[in-house]
Amino acid sequence: MIDLKKGAAVVTGAGTGLGRALAIELARQGVQVAGFGRRAELLAETSKLAGPRFTPVRLDVGDPDAVKAGMDEVSRALGSVSLLINNAAVYPRLDFLDETPESFMQSVAINLGGVAACSHAALGQMVEKGYGRILNVSTFADLAPIPASSAYSVSKGAARILTRALVADICDRFPDIVINDWMPGSLATDMGIAEGLDPALAARWGVSLALWHDRSLTGTVWERDTEQLPMRSLKGRIKDALLMRKRKPRILK
Amino acid sequence: MNDLLNRHWDVIVIGTGMGGATLGRALAEQGRSVLFLEKGRQGFRGERQGLSAAVADPVARAVRGYWPDKLEGKVNGQQHTFFAPLGCGIGGSSVFYAGTLERPEPHDLDDSAALPHPVGGWPFGWHEMVPWLEKAESMYRVHGGSRAPDPNLSVPDGSADKPSADDAVILKRLQTNGYQPSLLRSAISGHRDCLECRGTKCPRVCKMDARSAGIEPALASGHAALIDQCEVIAVRGDASRIRHVEAIHRGQHLRLSADRFVLAAGALSSPRLLLASRSEDWPHGCGNAHDLVGRNLMFHLNEMFAIWPRTKGGTSVPSKSVGLRDLYSIDGQRMGMVQAMGINVQYGEIAHFLKERLRATRFPQLAQLTPLAAWPASKVLGQAKLFVGLLEDLPYQHNRVYLDHAQPSRICFEYSMAPELLQRRKLFRRAIHSAFKGMRPVFVGWQPELNYGHPCGTLRAGSDPRTSVLNEDCRVHDIDNLYVVDASFFPTSMGVNPSLTIAANALRVANLLMKTKTT
Repeated sequence: MIDLKKGAAVVTGAGTGLGRALAIELARQGVQVAGFGRRAELLAETSKLAGPRFTPVRLDVGDPDAVKAGMDEVSRALGSVSLLINNAAVYPRLDFLDETPESFMQSVAINLGGVAACSHAALGQMVEKGYGRILNVSTFADLAPIPASSAYSVSKGAARILTRALVADICDRFPDIVINDWMPGSLATDMGIAEGLDPALAARWGVSLALWHDRSLTGTVWERDTEQLPMRSLKGRIKDALLMRKRKPRILK
Repeated sequence: MNDLLNRHWDVIVIGTGMGGATLGRALAEQGRSVLFLEKGRQGFRGERQGLSAAVADPVARAVRGYWPDKLEGKVNGQQHTFFAPLGCGIGGSSVFYAGTLERPEPHDLDDSAALPHPVGGWPFGWHEMVPWLEKAESMYRVHGGSRAPDPNLSVPDGSADKPSADDAVILKRLQTNGYQPSLLRSAISGHRDCLECRGTKCPRVCKMDARSAGIEPALASGHAALIDQCEVIAVRGDASRIRHVEAIHRGQHLRLSADRFVLAAGALSSPRLLLASRSEDWPHGCGNAHDLVGRNLMFHLNEMFAIWPRTKGGTSVPSKSVGLRDLYSIDGQRMGMVQAMGINVQYGEIAHFLKERLRATRFPQLAQLTPLAAWPASKVLGQAKLFVGLLEDLPYQHNRVYLDHAQPSRICFEYSMAPELLQRRKLFRRAIHSAFKGMRPVFVGWQPELNYGHPCGTLRAGSDPRTSVLNEDCRVHDIDNLYVVDASFFPTSMGVNPSLTIAANALRVANLLMKTKTT
């Protein structure tokens, strides 16, 4: 049995919103957790709320060199990284005509580049020991982009493709490195909406999913506390019916 | 890196599979400087994949330690292009093996009146090999086995190796049928937290393979070094001596020199390298004055079959420890060993298998139906124990590996099945069927199936330079400092997995290299 609680965890975007709530919940459950974030004062606030198991690491996930250095620092201080939650993201509300190509690509650098950089650095440690867990905080924003969300929709959608690409490259060689996507839904955070869900509740689901080490989770998509089963083709549905196979989504306890 | 390139080595070893790694470790641990050159990649120690024909991209295959390209083989006159179960990386194919390190029988090497040897015997006999088999077994921590081929041998105590409940039933039934099954001898520790990596890379050091028992200890000795992603393209020298090898390492041409060179690229590749090394002194390739390089290619025939031994409960545990030597020879004819495969059949493998089978028939369009056929098959086969009979293949000059000068990295071969092979196959299948009576044996497949993981014989060792490429020391005739220690040297294919014999011979040759001074 692999117990992810024994290794170090990293949560990106730990200074605000869901990231802070995830860090607090992990610390509450006894995990040594490092929080990546750009703003020292916000990380300090998380530190106060999460207690001594939280280690703030000030860096910008859009800067690959800083990410590499930060991940090395975590492994030196807390031990080899076993769990990575890619949570950091920016959501600039901007009409495409008001973006510049540069501003657009800056969002991509954080929302996609950050996931690539953090995953790459963490995987470097995970492949040596042969196990680990990566949970990517995702959204359905790519399916039908709403106005004033082009950079966000594109970069978050690409990050979902990155999850699938990582599964293709990594998980046959390292079946105990478990990677999947989690959609927390609309939250009552700065990035979310006022009537959204309490991030502390979402974080309980997120941490429960993140600490769950099961090969069958690789490649799955979860929304809030429920598994989203992949679409089946007509042929597949007929086969399921013929073989009386009922597909049942899993639900987090 | 420059230190490695500019240095003059005692020995350069080409290839890091069972032969090269075993020899290299023995030499390095006795203080010789050894440089390993490996075409494949180093990879990561935590990897656990098995071989797969489903990964088709050459880069993705190289990353996983699979032989990157398809083989081109003309089998019985028909051209096939396919991925073979061959490794390409540190440890070669052995990192993917099931760790069954069984000894050959004395008659595999020696001629006798009861069982005349097809080529009159190997140039070194069974009794010369025994101490090296023992040394190889100790190096690879081989354990298990309840019945050794020669009762006088000191076999490590296998009392700790208990068969599973299912295997015990199979052993019992075979005994009831009048046979003497044994427990297989294994290089997988099987200790309490062992992951039992039969067919997959072992992330720890409890499976002893050419990586964990060869390369890694060799490097730890401090006398060896390794360059991966380094494909040797030619050996260069004059009539009687190799001076250096030419290689390509990440697009860069290298020239590496040593006192002695050991070729261990595998029986499908070592002959291609010699054929590619044409020069004024060697107009037809190095060691090829008699047009023998690449010839006498042998595989085993795999007779795969499933049994349902009617055990109570727990039938999803694959059978892994049962071996049967009673059919090794029948009525003066050479057959081979029958053994548990130790690997569970998966749905995908069945689908792939059925697809390939159907493609080869007159109704290739049926291949589209395989998912439907494979599902019930997997339900049924998932409960079955898979066994395989290895049928010895005999050497024929027209079966050969050849070099396509337009694409020298490509493995090309031609092979046709001799009528006597198909005759022996019939006999072997009948014998298997009656041995497993009462366990409902069903052969998987009806066409003869070549075992592309067991190629051998393409640089035959012998005492006569007109009929062999290597002498009894596995040195290329007429070349003072070029040795071959992969399965290319096999004069015959034997009736058993080749790994242990390759390792034992590599230790024998390493000993010769330690004893003789270079000139």
